[in-house]
Amino acid sequence: MAKNISRRKFFGGAVAGGLAAATPSTIVAQTPAPRRVGLPDVWGQDFLYQWTPPENVKRDLTPGPGVIRLSNSQDITNKEGTDYDAMFKGMRAAGWTACEAASAAWLSRKLPDSEVSEIKAQLKAHDVVFYNIHCAGNIIAPDPQGQQWQRHIIDAVHAAEQMDLRMILTHTGSMYPNRNTAHPLNWSRQAWERSVNALKNICKSTAGSKIKVAIEPVNTEAINNPWAMKRLREDVGDERIMCGLDITNMVYAGTAFRMSELLNTTFELLEGMIAYIHAKDYVWDGMLPGLDWAMNGTGNMDYELFLAHISRIKDPIMYVEFLSTPEEYQQAQRNIRAIASKIGVKIHGTQA
Amino acid sequence: MKMQLAILGMMLLPTVALAAPDFAGSWLRDNAKSDPAPNTMYWMTRGATTMGGGRGNAQVILNIQQDAKALQVDDAQSAPRNYILDGKPHSRPTDTGIQKAEVTANLQTDALIIETTQPFGGMPGNATLTVKEVWSLSPDGKTLTVTATRDLPARQQTYKQVYIRTQPASAVLCSAGCVPAPK
Repeated sequence: MAKNISRRKFFGGAVAGGLAAATPSTIVAQTPAPRRVGLPDVWGQDFLYQWTPPENVKRDLTPGPGVIRLSNSQDITNKEGTDYDAMFKGMRAAGWTACEAASAAWLSRKLPDSEVSEIKAQLKAHDVVFYNIHCAGNIIAPDPQGQQWQRHIIDAVHAAEQMDLRMILTHTGSMYPNRNTAHPLNWSRQAWERSVNALKNICKSTAGSKIKVAIEPVNTEAINNPWAMKRLREDVGDERIMCGLDITNMVYAGTAFRMSELLNTTFELLEGMIAYIHAKDYVWDGMLPGLDWAMNGTGNMDYELFLAHISRIKDPIMYVEFLSTPEEYQQAQRNIRAIASKIGVKIHGTQA
Repeated sequence: MKMQLAILGMMLLPTVALAAPDFAGSWLRDNAKSDPAPNTMYWMTRGATTMGGGRGNAQVILNIQQDAKALQVDDAQSAPRNYILDGKPHSRPTDTGIQKAEVTANLQTDALIIETTQPFGGMPGNATLTVKEVWSLSPDGKTLTVTATRDLPARQQTYKQVYIRTQPASAVLCSAGCVPAPK
């Protein structure tokens, strides 16, 4: 079928074609080559997914100067009548030298100044660092929930200031109300812009605060790799945006057996913007790309390299979570301390 | 004459008494007398169950070939295991093929001691796992007991596996190149 082409379109196309033919290299040079995020190819990339690590991956196990403090998800409480001396003494005796609070519980009670002073005094007395409010919620949920959760984060920042914490932690969330449920549009431009705008709003509403707003990259959300994390900070345009690094949350089939490389890449890309680190480990143990949590130091995580990288961060804190029993937390800590000791990384305090 | 026999007997006695145990043959695990085998591949948390590792009540048959210098173990669940019985450490790849294990097999007069040190899951950076297996035979040679102790910084597990001999030893010399016994 014949197609009518207007004279303007015809000549316009000819001019463009002529330009392209005349100076192709110039145009190519001016246009950045498309770049794909992810780990480099290894072998057989024209017919295989690149899931096996290359040989001789660089594993620099040189310890940094940082002495790692361990914390865990048995969060501190501010319930009325809490014996803070006993609480921090117990943490310290079990080898935990840092702690964080869950936002919903912590914000549910306004603390009198006398109690704030008491908490700070007991933290100091027992050499335990209270560093974070770990926030619930979903800041890009369909409104009005999204806006309500942004308000929750803003309140958490103010509560963190009251306690002299270094940070709050949240996620960018999901287009579904529940942030843990993957929505098919979570990696769309729309979700990205909602994430950026939500964080801009939080930063604007807390302008002047020194509290870091740490974002935890997670597979199910828009920020699902270190490149996205870095770009998020640039797009929000606020240096308080940091990374609450849970590297296992970014693992998928393509990286499940390439953790040494993912660690190297992530710590290099996010240098200076890692607020603290989650300590989980995992294995791929099913036919589907199903990853399950494993005891720390026994799974696919390159724990030696992980600890070496963490020790190069200023005032590093490592958060042990996603375990079921107090015994498992003790076992995890024992493995972490043993691996750290093997490569010369220092962990604060001792474990009984 | 009696004196000569007595001397001969005394000369032979140590040889008989010090003869190393011979594990060669086919062995069927006695599930009733064995401890449940732990998941040696993964240490799951949060109550997760997995298809990998652990043998439950499945039928397990070991086919073992042995000579003075080496021992080979075959079963349907894992790769053949070869041990050099010289009491010295030998390096071999872990099951993942990307890390190394150090294995020492020491054949004593009453038992075989196998000690293995490796990264737990055979992945880079894992916590160090040490496994000590003690293999011993009943006086009649019909029952094999393997007691394994698995040591990680975080925990120690000991479990016992009992096997009943179903076939006698193969004549093949393992150190000359083992051929799997008929299954």
